[in-house]
Formats: sequence, structure tokens, C-alpha cells
Amino acid sequence: MSRDVYGREVLEGASWDLIPIFFGLGVAVMVVHTLWRLLAARRVDSE
Amino acid sequence: MVDKLVRHAGPDRLIHWLIAASVLVLLATGFLPILGIEFNWVAIHWWTGVVLTAAVLVHLLRVLIARKRGPILPGPRDLGDALAVARKNFRRDAPTPPLPGKYSVSQKLIHLAFAIVVLAAIATGGMMMVKVDTPWWERNPYWISDGAWGIVYVVHGFSALFLITLVMTHVYFALRPEKALYLRAMISGWITRPDYLREHDPERWRVER
Repeated sequence: MSRDVYGREVLEGASWDLIPIFFGLGVAVMVVHTLWRLLAARRVDSE
Repeated sequence: MVDKLVRHAGPDRLIHWLIAASVLVLLATGFLPILGIEFNWVAIHWWTGVVLTAAVLVHLLRVLIARKRGPILPGPRDLGDALAVARKNFRRDAPTPPLPGKYSVSQKLIHLAFAIVVLAAIATGGMMMVKVDTPWWERNPYWISDGAWGIVYVVHGFSALFLITLVMTHVYFALRPEKALYLRAMISGWITRPDYLREHDPERWRVER
């Protein structure tokens, strides 16, 4: 957000501070899925 | 001699890789300057956007005119499949989930997510090109109000942010060893008959040849 010449609030765009959040979300999906697959494989081996 | 079955025709693979390369260039030219790597990115960005738009339009025309639309769009039956997969993941004694047709539920969902996000980025990116001098027109920053431009920038920005997550997720699953047959199919076009019979229900995906 910013303000125009009349002092009104104006949308400027998405905040680039969110880049690490979306990158982290991608990393989280990979890590959680990898752990899940490892646990599932261990569970099958133990049966 | 392994019996090979066509999963992705040549034009579909070409469009896939063209879209993939375009999206990677667009992400790089969009985000690297924000991360402090300065270069003359605007022309590369919008020209690549034009290439992406053309590739998506050709893809849509091929799907809408020349071929069936069904296989990759999620349908009611996919909800049952998703629940069956979830049950199998959380309960050892749950029945084995049914085999999918050409695409699994997760493949359909990530395609849908890419479709929404890329189409939003293309629509807003196309609007933003009005602010850029091109061979076809001179820039006009006053085409719509500042408030409307703000909405365009927000949608374009969030599309780009979601694309970071989607691309990472897509590449990760494409590189998983158990998904190697799908990566190979997107490169070479074919899957083997044993893979087809192990991973797919022939009643739900009838291979033409």
C-alpha cells in the first residue's frame, strides 16, 4: 500500500517480503513428503 | 523388446517444455532484480510472456478443438479416489486405492493449480504490457485507474509467488524415483506396457497405440 497525491491509500502490489514464505512452503512440501515416504517405507519393512 | 505405449504426443511435449522454460525465465526475470541482481529484465520478461501466452493458447486450442477435455480435469470420481488414497496412507488395513486413468488425482490438481495461476499471470501480464512500449503500441499508463492497476499488480504478484511454490513442488515430484516413468514419458513420449498395467486402470485410460 502507498498513498496517492490526494493522501488516499493505493494498492501497489503483492509484498515481496512474502517470497521466503512461498519458497518455504515449497521446501516444506518436499521435506514433509520425503519424511512421509521414509516412514511409510520403514512401516512396510517392519510388517 | 519392451512394448512402448504413447502417453504424450510430440506437440504436447513441446508445448509442456516451452511453457516450463517460459515460466522459469519469467520467474528469473521477475524475481532476480527484486533479490538485488540488476539487469535489463523488462524486455526479456514481456517477450517471454508473449511466448508463454502463445504456447498456452496453442495448448488450449489443441485441447478444446482437437481432443477430449476429460482426462486431466478433476471430476466427482476423483474425490472418491483421493479419499481412498488418504485412507490407505493413514490406515494400514484400508483397501488398496483404485488405479487412476491417465492422470492421478494429484496430477490433476497440480495441473488445475498451474492453469489458474498461469492464466491469471497471463491476463494481468497482458494488461501490464499496456504500460510498456512495444512494436505494436506506445505505452499508456493511464489506461485504467491507479486502484485498478493496484489490483492487477496484486494478482500478478501473487500468481508469481504461487508459481514459486508450484514449480518447486512439480519439479520435486517429477524427480522422485517412483515418478520416473512420468518424467521419461514427458521427455520421450512413451511408457512401457508393464508400467501402464501396474500404475493405470486400462478401463479408465484406453491407450490408442
